[in-house]
Amino acid sequence: MASDLFTIGTSGLRAAKSALDLTAQNIANANTPGYTRRSLGVAELSGNGSIAKTSSIRLGGVMIEGAQRSQSAFLQAEARRTGSDAARATAQLDGLRVAERSIESAALFPALTEFEASLAQLANDPLSAPLRGQVIETARIAADSFNLAARGIAGALDEVQFETGAAVDRVNILTAELARTNGNIARTQDGSSARLTLLDQRDLLINEMSGFAGVAARFDQFGRVELRLGDGAGPLLVSGNVSATLASSTDADGRISFTLDGAGVAPGSGSLAGGALAADGIANRLAELDSAATRLITLANDAQAAGVTPTGLAGAALFSGISASTIALALTNGAGLATAPAGSPANSRNIGNLGDLRNALADSAGPGTLIDNLLFSLSSEISGRDLTEQALATIAESAAAALSQETAINLDEEAADLIRFQQSFQASSRVVETARNIFDTLLAI
Amino acid sequence: MTTIAAGTAAFFQRATGQMGELRRQAESLQQQIATGERLAVSSDDPVAAARLRALGRAERLAQVDRATSDDTLQSLRFADDILATIGNEIARARELTVQAASDTLSTNNRALIGTELEAIASNLLAAANSTDNAGRPLFAGDSDGPAYTLDASGNPVYGGTSAAVAVDLGDGVVIDRGVTGPEVFDFTANGAPANLIGFVRSLALALQDGAGDPAGAARAALEGFGEAFESLSRSQTAIGVRVAWVETVQDRQITTSEARAEEQFAAGGVDFASTIAELQQTLVVLEASQAAFARMSNLTLFNAI
Repeated sequence: MASDLFTIGTSGLRAAKSALDLTAQNIANANTPGYTRRSLGVAELSGNGSIAKTSSIRLGGVMIEGAQRSQSAFLQAEARRTGSDAARATAQLDGLRVAERSIESAALFPALTEFEASLAQLANDPLSAPLRGQVIETARIAADSFNLAARGIAGALDEVQFETGAAVDRVNILTAELARTNGNIARTQDGSSARLTLLDQRDLLINEMSGFAGVAARFDQFGRVELRLGDGAGPLLVSGNVSATLASSTDADGRISFTLDGAGVAPGSGSLAGGALAADGIANRLAELDSAATRLITLANDAQAAGVTPTGLAGAALFSGISASTIALALTNGAGLATAPAGSPANSRNIGNLGDLRNALADSAGPGTLIDNLLFSLSSEISGRDLTEQALATIAESAAAALSQETAINLDEEAADLIRFQQSFQASSRVVETARNIFDTLLAI
Repeated sequence: MTTIAAGTAAFFQRATGQMGELRRQAESLQQQIATGERLAVSSDDPVAAARLRALGRAERLAQVDRATSDDTLQSLRFADDILATIGNEIARARELTVQAASDTLSTNNRALIGTELEAIASNLLAAANSTDNAGRPLFAGDSDGPAYTLDASGNPVYGGTSAAVAVDLGDGVVIDRGVTGPEVFDFTANGAPANLIGFVRSLALALQDGAGDPAGAARAALEGFGEAFESLSRSQTAIGVRVAWVETVQDRQITTSEARAEEQFAAGGVDFASTIAELQQTLVVLEASQAAFARMSNLTLFNAI
């Protein structure tokens, strides 16, 4: 009788002590990334009594079943999915912003306006050497600005490609690590703290993974993950202890594509998808920049060829090059500008040819308008995507908050648990004390 | 709706994130006030940025147009002055011709008048070849050389183009800068086409030549001077009309530029009153959230056990 009480009290002490240990562990890991709240699983321990009398009371106290992780598969999946979407939007926006900054800081539009303004000034006094020199200088600045913008955009593209390459390497490390974790999970015992640590590690890896690419995870009874790219029907990334290898490649324009074990794949979300979209956007802008530069080269050189210089000769090409990165000033002397139409005598003040060039430059197909359109389309895309990104970030934040409600450590709760388990420890110790008192009483008879 | 996270780490993360965002907003407002520009990059407001680019370009080209208008006005006024000088020379030549037409004058005196008329002829040539202060010939059209040169026998030959230089003052206004030599100097004397310089010069030679009928030549020339005056005053009227026109264009350019500046301010300028008020509001919210964060983070059950 007294020994039963003693056993029950001891089991209670053991359970309360373990619960206190777990609470301390939770408090210690309040800031550990990936750590999920542990709680103690307990069950009542009772005996069946004898074969004849099954109804007799045989109590054994409490039994520790093992530590449990608080988890919610749905909230985890939701947090991963929304996180992937937000990561894609951020990566794309970052790439486009770099492109915008490089075009704006090259001051391309003001440079083209200055070139037009210098031509307008020359029209008033076409034989003036200083005004001709000014046209040459503004043409040089326009060419330099094109070079600068092209270099900036190419730099932005490089950056996106580099980041995507680094992300692909990291994804391969993560999938290999997940495959290894899967193997380790199978070797641990259910309810052991080693298993719980591995499961935390598994979720942490999947979460990091979902920042790079949208993934669908499925878990078996041991907690091993089967990870697929995209949705549940996507190609396998990790299955058991086997992982697939992701690779990226860039084409001549700088656009990025991915292969998984040699087969082409397209991640729908995550920073890899964002990087590929940003590279697409930047490559398109580079092509637009090139067409504006080519337009300037063609217009200026055609005008030069159509007119005559003050000495009565046909004009030589003003620009050389075939793209924004190769455009350069070819004519270095202002005297070589062909302002007068063909057939004009030497030293003519006729500005017919110059007027044609000015009209062509100011035209809606002129380089200035093309650059204006480029800036407008890029900046409105960024402005629109900024809104999308903010919305996706808010959604991801709410999902993460909902998940943390389930899994994260709240110090106030732990403090309350500390008091609760301390009290149950004290109560159980009173049970042991009572058992001793009963025993003493019996002995004293 | 934002879910409030129960996790302690999440609370700190969210609080610092929110305060960081408020600080970023305050810094952006401070930058707007410091630069006077509402937009730092085009993506802040793509439509306004596009409008600002168009306005900036228009203003830059309008600056050139304004300079061109000033220059054209000066050139026209200069031409007007030169035409007035030519008018004086014609009046003087006519006066001398009236004297020479009198039969009472001696041949010698007529020859003296002839010498003076020759000087007037070269003055007229100099006036015809005058340039404006940028060195552009006033009466030679598109040509860069002098308007008139004298051929081997001393007759004036026009070297310029048939049309005056057309100047683009922007907004589609194209105006002729000056008049051509023939417009000023050519007229009809006694039914035959004549050039003022050649006309005065041949009269001078006729008066110096005692052999012919110098007085008769002078009488015949008197009517020609009237025609020359008429041709000159036609040119003066044309110049005067153009001066008035350029002045109107300049007035409009200033009005347009003011309107443009106003629109530029509306599209990308900073309204200081509202921006400073907004900054103040942001700072108040930031301070309040910092104070709230400090209070909240002190609230832990561990303080009570």
